[in-house]
Amino acid sequence: MSKFMLIMRGTDAAKDAFEQTDFTEVIAAMGAYNESMLKAGVMVGGDGLALEPGLVVDFDQTPPVVTDGPYGETKELFNGFWVLEVPTIEEAAEWAKRAPLPPGNKLEVRRITGPEDFPADNEWIQKEKEWQEHGYSESSATDA
Amino acid sequence: MGIYMLIMRTVDEAAAQQAMADAGLDFDKMIETMGRFNEELFDAGVLVAMEGLEEAALGAVVDYSSTPPVVTDGPYGETKELFNGYWQIDVPTKEAAIEWALKVPAGPGVKTEIRRVPTIDEFPSDNPWIQREIEMRTEMLRSQLQKAEG
Repeated sequence: MSKFMLIMRGTDAAKDAFEQTDFTEVIAAMGAYNESMLKAGVMVGGDGLALEPGLVVDFDQTPPVVTDGPYGETKELFNGFWVLEVPTIEEAAEWAKRAPLPPGNKLEVRRITGPEDFPADNEWIQKEKEWQEHGYSESSATDA
Repeated sequence: MGIYMLIMRTVDEAAAQQAMADAGLDFDKMIETMGRFNEELFDAGVLVAMEGLEEAALGAVVDYSSTPPVVTDGPYGETKELFNGYWQIDVPTKEAAIEWALKVPAGPGVKTEIRRVPTIDEFPSDNPWIQREIEMRTEMLRSQLQKAEG
């Protein structure tokens, strides 16, 4: 089993179309899609990002420079993601194809690196495993 | 408090790796540098989640411009400005998120995008799908914790 990230990207046109769509319908379509993945036992996580402008930190100079977002061109913005745990990238792509997304959207499917990608005897890799088991942070608020 | 996502992007994997090699950083050193930064986030109690991604060339792209959607091999678009991983941190303000982003151990050719992650309470709580999402998130957390505990 591997974890794959489905990264949602959309054009400006797609964003405009999305804003014209009935929000209740969007929530229902996305909810039904999420539920299908949860029931199949493949969904590990996911989040959407706020439409408000973000910031960009550029490391080309020292110290790094902070500017207002968006990042690069507004076409093909990163808007959110899902994390699925499935045996192969083909299976991840099968789930991706079922996402209720209109034209102008793309999902990038990428494998998330796991402990097997790193030397097991490295102290930092061992530490990261402990943090994960710890749920990262006791004080971190979950949405639920 | 808000959850902010720090999205790591590099101009080109090869260029970034070359830059690191030029700077005399080996793989172990790289892991240690990143590990120290991650530990700082963890110790401060702000780290919510983080993941790194495998190289984009090994990924795939699903395009919804036609029906049914078309799947092609990665990378997504041009290899410049790839998405390579992210952190989610829970901090009081955007300024606090910037402070953390400035500490990312990165060099030339790397940028971090900072975006807020809306929480479920920003959505209409009387919507059945929003209610369902709250349940699903709880369920996902529970199963992840069970897995981590083995």
